Order: sequence, then C-alpha cells, then structure tokens
Amino acid sequence: MTKRLFFSIGLLSASIIAFQLILMHILSIMQWNHFAYMIISVALLGFGASGTLLALKSKWLVERIRVMLPLLMILCGLSMSSILAVSEWLFGTFDSYLIFVDTDQLYSLVLTYLAFFIPFFIGALAIGLIYVAYVKKIGSLYFADLFGSGIGGLASLLLFWTFFPSQLPAVIAVFPVIAGILLIPAEKKRVFTIISLASLVLPAILYFNPPELKLSEYKSISKALDLPDAQIVKERTSPYGHIQVVSSGALRYAPGLSMRFKGEVPVRDVIYSNGDWFGPVVSWSREDTTHFLDYTTNALPFVINKPEKVMVADAGTGLFVAHSIVRGASSVAAVEQNRVAVDLLKNELAADIDSLFSHDAVRLEKLQSRSYLLSDTSSYDLIILPTIETFGGTSGIHALNEQYLLTREAFKDMWERLTDRGMIAITTWMDYPARNTLKVLGTLMSTLHEADVDDPGRHLIAVRGWGTVTFVLKKTPVTEEQIEKVREFSSSKFFDPLFLPGIKKEERARYNMLQDDNFFELADRIFSGPEEAEKLYSEYDFNIRPSTDNRPYFSQFLKWSRLSHLAEMFGTGSVPFIEVGYLVVGITFVQITVAAIVLIILPLFFMGWRGGYRAFTVLHFSGLGLGFMFVEIVLIQRFVLYFGSPIYAAAAVLSAMLICSGAGSYFSSRIEGTHRDIVKMTGIVIIFILLYGIFLTPVLLSTITLPFLLKILFSIALIAPLAFFMGMPFPLGLRTLSVHNNTLVPWAWGINGCLSVISTALALIIAVEAGFFWVMVMAALAYGITLLANYAKR
Amino acid sequence: MKNRYFFIPVIILLMSAAATFTAPAQVFDELRENMVRTQIKARGIDHAPTVEAMRNVERHLFVPTARRNRAYEDGPLPIGHGQTISQPFIVAYMTQLVNPGPGDKVLEIGTGSGYQAAVLAEIVDQVFTIEIVSELGESAARLLKELNYDNVEVKIADGYYGWEEHGPFDAIVVTAAAEYIPPPLVDQLKDGGKMVIPVGSPFMVQNLMLIEKNGDEITTRSIMPVTFVPFTRKE
Repeated sequence: MTKRLFFSIGLLSASIIAFQLILMHILSIMQWNHFAYMIISVALLGFGASGTLLALKSKWLVERIRVMLPLLMILCGLSMSSILAVSEWLFGTFDSYLIFVDTDQLYSLVLTYLAFFIPFFIGALAIGLIYVAYVKKIGSLYFADLFGSGIGGLASLLLFWTFFPSQLPAVIAVFPVIAGILLIPAEKKRVFTIISLASLVLPAILYFNPPELKLSEYKSISKALDLPDAQIVKERTSPYGHIQVVSSGALRYAPGLSMRFKGEVPVRDVIYSNGDWFGPVVSWSREDTTHFLDYTTNALPFVINKPEKVMVADAGTGLFVAHSIVRGASSVAAVEQNRVAVDLLKNELAADIDSLFSHDAVRLEKLQSRSYLLSDTSSYDLIILPTIETFGGTSGIHALNEQYLLTREAFKDMWERLTDRGMIAITTWMDYPARNTLKVLGTLMSTLHEADVDDPGRHLIAVRGWGTVTFVLKKTPVTEEQIEKVREFSSSKFFDPLFLPGIKKEERARYNMLQDDNFFELADRIFSGPEEAEKLYSEYDFNIRPSTDNRPYFSQFLKWSRLSHLAEMFGTGSVPFIEVGYLVVGITFVQITVAAIVLIILPLFFMGWRGGYRAFTVLHFSGLGLGFMFVEIVLIQRFVLYFGSPIYAAAAVLSAMLICSGAGSYFSSRIEGTHRDIVKMTGIVIIFILLYGIFLTPVLLSTITLPFLLKILFSIALIAPLAFFMGMPFPLGLRTLSVHNNTLVPWAWGINGCLSVISTALALIIAVEAGFFWVMVMAALAYGITLLANYAKR
Repeated sequence: MKNRYFFIPVIILLMSAAATFTAPAQVFDELRENMVRTQIKARGIDHAPTVEAMRNVERHLFVPTARRNRAYEDGPLPIGHGQTISQPFIVAYMTQLVNPGPGDKVLEIGTGSGYQAAVLAEIVDQVFTIEIVSELGESAARLLKELNYDNVEVKIADGYYGWEEHGPFDAIVVTAAAEYIPPPLVDQLKDGGKMVIPVGSPFMVQNLMLIEKNGDEITTRSIMPVTFVPFTRKE
C-alpha cells in the first residue's frame, strides 16, 4: 500500500501541475497570457480551500480514506477532462477585452474561474487527506508530491509537442484516474473497477471530439479569419505556442508605409502564435533590388551607411533579414527563439521566401536575442531591433512580459558589439499618449551617457513618418554628408526628421504635423540630458524610465499613483485599456486575497481549535507560503535570460526546484525535527536567498556562453542546494505540529496554500515596482518570519 | 423565512427583465438629444450639419439589440467580429474633420454597423461604403435600406482598392484603421480632399489622423480629440 500510495500521490501531483500548465497554455491561446496568473492563483486557491475542508471535516474524511482517496482522484481526472467544455457550455466564453465594457462578461469570467477551481480543489483534497492521515510519513510523502510535480512540469512539455491544445485536458485526465485505480480497496474492487472504466470513457470522447477553443474576437487571428476566403493553411503545436499560418486574399503588410509608395501592397500569408501576430510570410526573391521597407522609416540605417555585417534581433519571419540582404549586407545573423516558426519558414514555407533562412549570407540562431548577445562575441555594423508595439497599440497586454532585449544593460551590450561604423536601429509606432517613443529615446540616451561619448546629440538620428519613428544610434558622430542624406530621404518619402544634428524646428513637422508641440517638448527634455530626463520621469503620468535587467518590463507604463488622474483625463471606461495586463494582475491580487481569506482563513476561525500553537502555525506556514513562491518566481525569471527560452527556463527551474525540494523533504524525515533544527534549516535558506539575490545574476552572466547541456547541469547545481533546504521547513513544521496539536495540521495546509496564492501575484507586483532583487529580499524576510516562529518555541 | 425562496427568485427575474427591457422610441429621442447636448456640442463640435445629423440618426438602431439601452452612452460598443460602433463623439469629430457638405461624394472604408455612413448620408449627396466582413456589410446594407438611406451604397469587398468607378472623392473616412494607407485610396482622393483615420485601441478614447492631399504633396496631422487634456508640460 505504502509504495502504491507514494506512486499515486506522485502521479496525481504530476497531473495537477501538467493540467495547470495546459490551462495556462489554452487560455493564452483563447485570450491573453496574463490569464496565466489567474490559473496559478486558481490552482493554489484550490489547494488552500481543500485545507479548509480538511480542517472542518478531517475526522469524517480520514475515517473513509480508503474509499475517498480513489474516488477523489478519479473525480479529479473527470473534472480535468471536462471542465473546459462544461464551462464553455454553461457560462459561454468570456472575452477579456469586453470585461470592462460588458458586465455579463465579468460574471462569465468569475464562473469560469470557479469552474477551473474544481479539479484543483478535488486533487488537492486527495493530497491533503493523505498528509493528514499519514502525517508521520510526511517527509517521504512530500517528497513524492514534489517529485511528481517536477516530473509533471517536464512531461507537459512533451505533451505540448505531441497533442493539439484542445486535446490536452483529456490526455492529462487519464493520469489521476490511474492514480485512483492504484488505490482501489480490495473490498470495493468490483464497484470501483466499473467506476474507473466508466470514468475513462469521458476523456476518450473528449480526446476524439475535443471542444472547440473559442478565441476572443479581438485576437489578431480572429480578425484575420474574418477576411474573405481566409483559412488556416498550416498548423503546428509546440511549447513555443500554437503556430498557425493564415492565408487570405486580403492580408497585406506594409507597416507605416510612406504615402509616396505607388506600387501594389502584395497579399501575403501571416503566421500567428497562440492567436497573436507573429509575422508576415513576406514574398522575397534573391533577385530583388528593392524592398517595400525602403518606403518606411525602417530604411533609415541603410540611408546613413551601407552596413555589411548585420544582426537582426527577434527576427520573426525574416522581414528585416530580407531587407538587409536587399540593401547589400553580406552577413546577417538572424536571431529568433521560436524554433517551430523558424523551422516552418526554413522548410515548408521556404519556397514562399526563396529559402531566405538557407541563404549563404544568413546565419540562423535559435535563441532569445539577449541571450545571444551575451554569448556572442562578433561585431556588427548594424543591429536591428524588432518594432515596438503595433499599430493602434496593444492596450498594454504585454506589460508584464520580461523584455530583456530592451533594458539599459541590453543596449550597453549592443553598443559594445558595434564596429566603428556600427549602428543600432529601433522603430516604434507612435502612441498616444506618448510612452513607447519616450521610453525608447530615454534608453538610447542613457546608453550614450553611459558610453561617455563626447557629444551625445551627434550620435542619434530619428525620423518620423505618419505612424512610426525610427531611431538610429551611431557609434561615431553623424557626418554632414549623412545629415544631408537623411534630409533627402525624409522629404522624398514625406517623413520628418525628429533628431538630427542642426535640425530646425520647422523641419520636424513639415509632412506629419502633430496637434501641438507637446511631444517634441517631452522628447527634447529627455534628449537634453540625464537631469532633465530624470525630472520628466518623475513628473510624467506614465512610467517611461528606461527598464533594467532588475525590472525588465519595458511595456509597463502604469503608475498606480496616477490612476485617478488618468481616469479623470480619459474617462474610467478607457483607463483599463491603457494597460490591461498589469491592471488584471492588480485586480487578480485583490480578488485572490479576498477569496483566499473568505475561503481559507474565515471558515477556520469558525471551527475553533484546541490547544496552543496557533501563533506558531500562522507564522511558520505563512512565511513558507510567501517565501517559497517568491524564490521560485525570481529563479524562473532569471533563468529565462540564461537559457534564452522562457519555456525551457520554466520547465528546468520548476522541475529542479520541486525535485530537489522533494529530496530535502525526504531527508527531513531522517532528522529529529525540533524547533532548533527548523531554525537552523531556515537560517541556511535565508543566507542562500540573500546570496542568490546578490550573486545569481553575475554568476549566470559569466557562464552564459557555456554549451547548453553544461548550462543545464550548472543550473541544477545552482538551484539544488537552495531548493534542498527549502524543502525541509514545511514537512518539519507539519511534523512538529502533529506532535503538539494535531488538529492544526489541516489549518497549516490551508494557510500555506492561501499565502502561496497571494504571493504569486504579489511577487510580480513587487518585481514591477521595485525589481527582482527586492522580491528576493522579501523572500528572505518571509523565511525570517518562519525562523522567528521557531526561535520563539525552541 | 421561507418567503425568501419566493422573493429572491422574483427579484432576480425582475432584474433580468429590466436588463433586456428596451425603451420606447420617445425615450431614445430624449437620450439622443441629451447625447447631442452633453457629448457633442459641449465638447466643441460646432459644424452645424454634423450636429444635426447626430440628432437625426437613430443610433440605437445600429447597436445590437442586447446593448441597445446603452446606445447613447459616451463610449464605443461591441458589434461582433472584433468590431465596435465608435463612441458618438468620435463619429461626430471624424465627420466634422472632413468638413462634408451638400454635393459631396464620400467614401467610407469599414461600414461596420452602418452608423457613420448614415451620419454622412444626412449631410452629403452620395456615400459609398465598403465592408470586408460580409455578415456586417449585409446587415448594415439591410438596415440602411430599411431606414431609407437611398444615397448610401454598400459594397462587400476589400477596402484596399477603394471604389475606383465612383472616385475621386471629396473625403474618405476610414473607420477600420490599418497599419498602412492603401495607395489606391490616396489616388482616389480629390485634390484638396481629406481623409480621416482613427488610431488606437477600439475601447480607448481615440486619436485621429487627418490626411490632406494638395497637388503632389500629402500631409498628415495627428489630432487628439478635445476631451484630452494635454500631458505634463514643462511649465
């Protein structure tokens, strides 16, 4: 029984983690990826609420554990397979864009949220029940739980490669059912065998007839599919996202095209990743001598110089790569992390783009661009960055994406990679009110100031069209000849220079006028020097201070303190769309905190409890709930840069953390587990966290050039000691509690769940507002609470 | 307290009935008049034909039935297919910007609900409107016909090519903005003609871009609607 129990709990935990990742994946396809945080919190809320039920009904449940365990596991599987289909059927599909304009959508969101809560709640109830019933073996059980979760994280990657998103819930649902079958009591074998077999029917039906994933009508792909004759011509599923190629007779792409352009803007297929725009499949031929980008502000660097060696960061579908070759580049490093999309372009779509990615001059690097910059030692005449924002804006849905390519440190790295004639080019869409343009300008100016160039103003050129601005940062000062070329280029394309040595006021808005000079005044303040820029950053209604590796949120502009002012200016209805991503996290945080208190903490006050150890329980387990998640989230973020891929980083960190914590938990069963022991272990954790907070980034940066396999081994070696010790205080605390006041064990489980829920959203808010370093400091403080709780009882 | 089993469902039923209740035409007339007063005139729209058109066109008829009661609110509303019927003020502002008058011929790209076409049709002689999503185009064409807007022609097609056989136009109103301005539209604009395009997220207060053609030269002007207070300035 014991072996089967360990295996079952491991299998169940693996399925719960995998199901969580699957839901995050599906919601990012149907809506946007900020719902990932909602799923994390729903899952943890399920864990917390299960603790409450256990606390209230533990006697009843433990008495029936032989029946309850397999039953709960089977129910967990059933709910996993069907919850998506059922919630769509019952409540319809909510559309996150409409939440702020249509109250029905809000109800639908809340009901969906509650529906998703069910499988996590049932699964967690089974795990919690095992803990309560077998608390003496908590060390080994917690190990099986964490080890299973670690494996589940890795297994989900495999599933993402193999199955289509809509089939995934049905696939993963089989595993909790198997976990349940393993625990069927001998005396109920017949009944349970029938139930188990019957419960496999639903996943089978849903696997072969998966529910349709109804995408938000505001997703890019939904709009493309509304066009005449639109159809999905190719589709790939992978952890990098669900890649779809859409073809239609009306899909065209020519961003910010000059009104001087007289040709036909050609129709082209477009690649979408998780329903979001990835890039156009731009027809291109090796014979081409002109490119439509010549008629956009993107052509600026090629007007100034004739770059030979070019690096295209986040190359996407290769638009800038093709343009560079047409404009005479002899070597282009195309850096793109989405392997699936790139492989599609290199193979099946090769004919459409004349095998661009197999061109002799093109070197393809399948990495995140910043990681490539850190590991590469080449020099470039031109580094082209991806265009910032999209036409009309994305309403801040990317606000919480870490963009390590757009930090001050990233620009410093790029500056150091430039040859003497080198340039960095970056284009942004004009936005209203100005945010992206000003933040880019601020970042570029800070690069020049840090590089200590003599006259920063002579190293920056910017040209503005009707919709875009292209900035070029030059290693050497701009020459008079280049200034003349830029003037000629601008007037020939109906563009206006924005920054150019010796520019006259009237030159700035000859073809593209703004309502007033406000934008120019703001830009000039940033341009004039660090002191004036700093004053503007504090005064401005949005956060336009350049982002850093410690706070890599380039697209995060919202200042909470200015929210009421913004509401006054734009009307409350419009405010959410200024930065919906961060606002959703803020709202999620408040909502989760309330829900966690109502569902987890309040019921426990009504149940009453006997004996002491209440303060200990609250402090010990809150500290752990907060601290563990803080550390986990920071580590994931740091390793994203290290591996150059968020998916592998998340999988590696999650799995290594959980498996090593599991090992620590297993080891904890061998030590006595006094309060003095817990103080020691927690003290070690705090020291580790502080050391990691200070040294992790430099250590990672200095080893980033190691081969991939060595990096994996090195990262496991880095994570292992911290995770090992972090795995101990929870089982040790539960064991101590079971000795002193057994009735508090489920409560402890609930408190830990509750604080873990809150800490996921809180960690993100701290990271955005203060940076990752402070999240680590908060993690150390959280473990400090646990340490104090034990110190007082030693 | 068994009564609660009766009263609570009744209250819920009454509340849901209230939500779907559609006001009589007279109420809509009052709401529309109020909209013109508080959202249009109060915000500086002073082009008399535009104000009159906003007063005449029954906006609620262009809004999906379920959202009809919100037709005269100060904001955009979803109409399906990821499209919206613009905020009343934006419709008025765009109309005023192209300075339409009797005898004019206007091209609209992106018919959507048909509301902007109806407002233009109140002022000019001919409105040609193109919608790429057939469901939207068909329903707008039907509605405009029902409302006797005989001077509006709806075509379901790709707006990229404009409507060459009816060009050149005095004004072009692009309601569904794209990230490029199709060269054929610029060609079909009369010398001295104006084109207007909204820029920004569909639910935000939008910025507008006015394109003017003067001989071979084309200029653009970004115009923030007057509801905007300019951002932090250097004092």
